[in-house]
Amino acid sequence: MIEIKGITKTYGKKQNAFLALDNINFTIPDATTIAIIGKSGSGKSTLMHAMSGLDRPEVGEVLIDGENILTLKQRKIDAFRASKMSFIFQSFFIQPNETCYDNVVLPLEIAEVPRGQRRAKVEAALAAVELTDKIRSKAANLSGGQKQRLAIARAIVNEPKILFADEPTGNLDSTTGGIVEDFLFNYAKVNKATLIVVTHDPELAEKCDAQIVIVDGKVQSITGLEEKAKETEEPEEEKLLEAGETEELLEAVNERSEGDDQ
Amino acid sequence: MKISDTIRRAGRSLKQAKARTLLTSLAIGVGAFTITLSLAGGQGGRDYTDAIVKANTNINEVSITKKMPVSTSIQEYSGESGGMTDGFGGSFPTITNADIDDILKIDGVSSVTPNYDPSVNYVTAEGQKKYVAAISTFSPSVTLDYAAGSVDGDLKSGEIVLTEDYADILGFGSPENAVGKKVQINTTKLSTSFSTEPEQKDFEFTVKGVSSASGLAFRSQSSMLISSNQAREIYTYVNEGTPAFGKFILASVIVENPDRANEVKNVLDGKGYDAQTSEDVLGTVNTFINVLLGILLGFGALAVLTSVFGIINTQYISVLERTQQIGLMKALGMSARDVGRLFKFEAAWVGFLGGAIGSGLAFIVGTAANPLITEALKLGDISLLKFDPIQVAVVIIGLILISVAAGIFPARKASRLDPIEALRTE
Repeated sequence: MIEIKGITKTYGKKQNAFLALDNINFTIPDATTIAIIGKSGSGKSTLMHAMSGLDRPEVGEVLIDGENILTLKQRKIDAFRASKMSFIFQSFFIQPNETCYDNVVLPLEIAEVPRGQRRAKVEAALAAVELTDKIRSKAANLSGGQKQRLAIARAIVNEPKILFADEPTGNLDSTTGGIVEDFLFNYAKVNKATLIVVTHDPELAEKCDAQIVIVDGKVQSITGLEEKAKETEEPEEEKLLEAGETEELLEAVNERSEGDDQ
Repeated sequence: MKISDTIRRAGRSLKQAKARTLLTSLAIGVGAFTITLSLAGGQGGRDYTDAIVKANTNINEVSITKKMPVSTSIQEYSGESGGMTDGFGGSFPTITNADIDDILKIDGVSSVTPNYDPSVNYVTAEGQKKYVAAISTFSPSVTLDYAAGSVDGDLKSGEIVLTEDYADILGFGSPENAVGKKVQINTTKLSTSFSTEPEQKDFEFTVKGVSSASGLAFRSQSSMLISSNQAREIYTYVNEGTPAFGKFILASVIVENPDRANEVKNVLDGKGYDAQTSEDVLGTVNTFINVLLGILLGFGALAVLTSVFGIINTQYISVLERTQQIGLMKALGMSARDVGRLFKFEAAWVGFLGGAIGSGLAFIVGTAANPLITEALKLGDISLLKFDPIQVAVVIIGLILISVAAGIFPARKASRLDPIEALRTE
């Protein structure tokens, strides 16, 4: 679960000060796909940077599974990102002269995944984006869509629980963009990962469980998050039932009934 | 990120810009080449001089000359002073028999032999023409290369060692044929009287050996060698009765124990002699080699210094070109320290490549040139360029460290890049 509490970010000082984010608050349940929507300069990318610990807002908290990552030392945030998060960017940021393997293995090297496990993980990630046959190809020889699929493979190779996608289909035609979107949503669904998409594309935003609209650094509207929160509570009871934890299940059902009555 | 992964990724990054990496490495390679070759030359040179001194001097020997009198005013002529003219209106102070007796009294001195080296007219053999001859005294402590025959210990009176050139010109056909054959050396007795006809005498010698030219020999290689006793006999015949008789410019003092050579040298110095031990000879030559080595190493260091700026420039450009990549790596969780390390290792790779290329090339060139140099300078078994693997390794490691130092500034720039700004860079 990601809790954003009172995030405020200002760029510049004194007369040049510019309020990029103004007291942002919301909570994203686990395994949610959410779109942060807004025009250019609205603050949506700044919000993504703050949520990922790439940027440190002067006010507010970013709690991930209860831990405020903004109070962690830089090396801990780096390690946290390496093990729990990943990114997909509009510009792909792949290394054209390196092979697909070398591009995709980078996050595993950064996260210090044992060498013996890397090959299988890279192959699995490339298979997930249907680029298995390109493992030894130079990234420069791939088409635009393939490059973004390669970027997805790199993003998912270490199985992150939070995936940030900044305008992931911005540089692709609609057909290729659709394919890339399918890969992203499929990954989030299969791996129960949180997918945070920064976009100004309403169609892409509609495919997400929830949408947050940012205007001039403020949250204008949040849709779908409450419903998603309720959805995530129910499966907990299902899990207890499956596990045969009858007493805990009854307790949970009673608590819910009491809550509903009130 | 593990160090091994950082090193590997640094190597892969350099592969992306092969031409630039190679050119930067070559700049370091020039320095590595010069330094490796200089060190090899220095090592070989020291071995060479060591061999020369061992071959030419006796560790028990102290060579002496009398000190030149230091005077600032015109001296009154003294008929007793007995100097030898130097051809420029001055005179050399000489060593007399009385001086030799005096030196023999010094504690630790076992013998004193003046340098006779008599002047002779010509050398000839049966049925051959007469040829101008140069004669020196044979020393058992000097190692000679023999083309034929050999001398075991000292030469006896009536024995001679020819050079290959004399053996050839005197019609023996080959050095082997010359051994055991007779040669005659003619000399003229010096006279103070111009009224009488100059008296001449032939001295007959049996060829004991034929020396071959060697790059290790100090002495004139055109001289034939005769025993010290025979030299004294000829010297006495030629000079007896003249003012120069019994006066020598050079003498060799033999000490009982080589460890006392310096002690005897100091006593001789106090008695007005310039004395030189074999250690002094070696030291003088080594000083010359060290100066030469220093100059060459200076050129090498200059080349390395120039290449340092090349590395800084290349790495700095690399940081600018790869700003987005740095941003991505930081976004994916790579720490600033690891980013800095990546660029330092890239610089280290450049240093390693430059060192390996330069030192490798120096080794190849040196190994190829060694036989040619040995042949040209007639050095026998000695290689003038001697490569010490430890020295080469130290050169390469040194260049790696210098390269890393050169990479610190670009690495710091990379590590301090703001990932957000870096990702926004076009």
